[in-house]
Amino acid sequence: MDQQGLTRINTAWALFQGLLIEALPFLLIGVLISALARWLAPGGRWLRRLPAHPLLGPLSGAALGFALPACECGNVPVARRMLVGGAPLGTALGFLFAAPVLNPIVIASTWAAFPAQPWLLLARPIGAVLVALALSLLLRLIPEERLLQADVLAERQLNQPLSAVNLLQRRSGLVGITTATASDQQESRQPLTRPPLQEVLSHGGREFMQLALLLVAGCVLAALVQTVLPRQWLLDLGSSPTSSILALMALSVVISVCSSVDAFLALSFAAQVTPGALLAFLLLGPVIDLKLAGLLGLLLRPRGLLLASAGAGLSVLLISQWINLWLL
Amino acid sequence: MKSHAPQAVALALWGLVLLRSSIDGRLDLLLRGVFHPLVSIAGLLLLVWAMLLVLPLQGRRSKTAAPVVAEAVTPRHWQSLVATALIAVLLIGLPPNPSFADLAQRRPGDDSSEAELAFVLPPAQRSLTDWVRLLRTQSDPRLYVGDPVRISGFVLPRNDGPPLLARLLVRCCLADGTPIGLPVRWPAGNPLPKADQWLQITGSMAVQQGLDGEELVVIPQRISVIPRPRRPLEP
Repeated sequence: MDQQGLTRINTAWALFQGLLIEALPFLLIGVLISALARWLAPGGRWLRRLPAHPLLGPLSGAALGFALPACECGNVPVARRMLVGGAPLGTALGFLFAAPVLNPIVIASTWAAFPAQPWLLLARPIGAVLVALALSLLLRLIPEERLLQADVLAERQLNQPLSAVNLLQRRSGLVGITTATASDQQESRQPLTRPPLQEVLSHGGREFMQLALLLVAGCVLAALVQTVLPRQWLLDLGSSPTSSILALMALSVVISVCSSVDAFLALSFAAQVTPGALLAFLLLGPVIDLKLAGLLGLLLRPRGLLLASAGAGLSVLLISQWINLWLL
Repeated sequence: MKSHAPQAVALALWGLVLLRSSIDGRLDLLLRGVFHPLVSIAGLLLLVWAMLLVLPLQGRRSKTAAPVVAEAVTPRHWQSLVATALIAVLLIGLPPNPSFADLAQRRPGDDSSEAELAFVLPPAQRSLTDWVRLLRTQSDPRLYVGDPVRISGFVLPRNDGPPLLARLLVRCCLADGTPIGLPVRWPAGNPLPKADQWLQITGSMAVQQGLDGEELVVIPQRISVIPRPRRPLEP
């Protein structure tokens, strides 16, 4: 291999390490919150009390982002905990897709990076909520058993009221009882005692081990693509309103930088792109990027992941086009 | 076989990776300074977590708590553990050695417009980054002609001119690094410096005709080759 090839491998290795080492603490925060929730609220009853309304559910899930000021890597284990705890699907998805933007740190960093553009401070959280709403409504079209990964679904069905699980999927309970009775029975069979701390730690440890390996795969992919693809090509595409949005969407997927600092990165090329493209970069990255793909694959089956990616791309494109029409 | 061992070993390995990275100085090459304590704390937490898993906590359990059920260790757990161990060994054994020039050549330059600077250092004390930021607020290059310069950076080759002396600005990690640079009038008759070489230049500022009109250029009086600084990234 020639010197240039070796230099590029060294650079890709450093990029990989940078992405991974920066993301691991946030992943740990997410897993710790998930483990704490499992210990403090065994059975996840409070999760099942979250609204299941198609609109209120995702909105309340999005609002929970204020309770977890972490970036998208930390949100995945918490969203997984919500899903397996029996939270309404729309609520968990609303949290998964909107919380990486709708949290105090991200809003503050956006303000710090763009103090002279107050429209962005409003458009980013509102856009994130709209994207999360669109994705929640879209993913509800797929039955849960074809949307969620098998292990998530199995644990989720154990924690759902019997009335919410069809007869073939039930592993316990009685056939032919009324919904109210089934719910009562489900409530009564929940353990009242907390699981032992060591069991919670072991469960969380297994989750961290699994997620960290998926994060490694995502970081390898992101580092390789960043090393091979010159970033200027994407920015050069961004001369017209639509192509600038598409270029910045592609850039956000490739760069895979965490949502708490992406506004500062966007600052470096904000003058070269349209306002809609800038917003597209800030909206899409927290929902889907190369680093996140593996982590999201732990929750969603490939069909769900593809639909979520396509839906996120389309909704971000529409919102950003509207911004360009309004501001240009 | 039932045990917490695979989780404990995997957590300890990740903890060691983060702590080792905090100690051996590689974070200075990879992450912005504000994230360094976070990495160290995460490493410590992972080690404590691993220790809690192997220590016998059962004796301290509440009497009302359910009995501890260790999870059955499956082949998948062992595979995950082997993969974690392999990655940890590679991360610890192969520290990063990026080429800033290679990275910067594939990135667009930082184009952010600075707000007015609240405090401006005397010319000889300004770093390369200070100079670039100052030029964005007061873009008339003629204001600085003759000012003394003492800056350091790496050599960044360009396709459309002689190499720049450059630095990488990093907001989060190396993946978002964007280059900034100043043109240098390299001494005639000498070979151009190599890409990635770290130089300290003492000289003065002058004006030359660039691609987009007049631009500031560093006229070196003394060029010294220096090792890469311990903290080469700029916030």
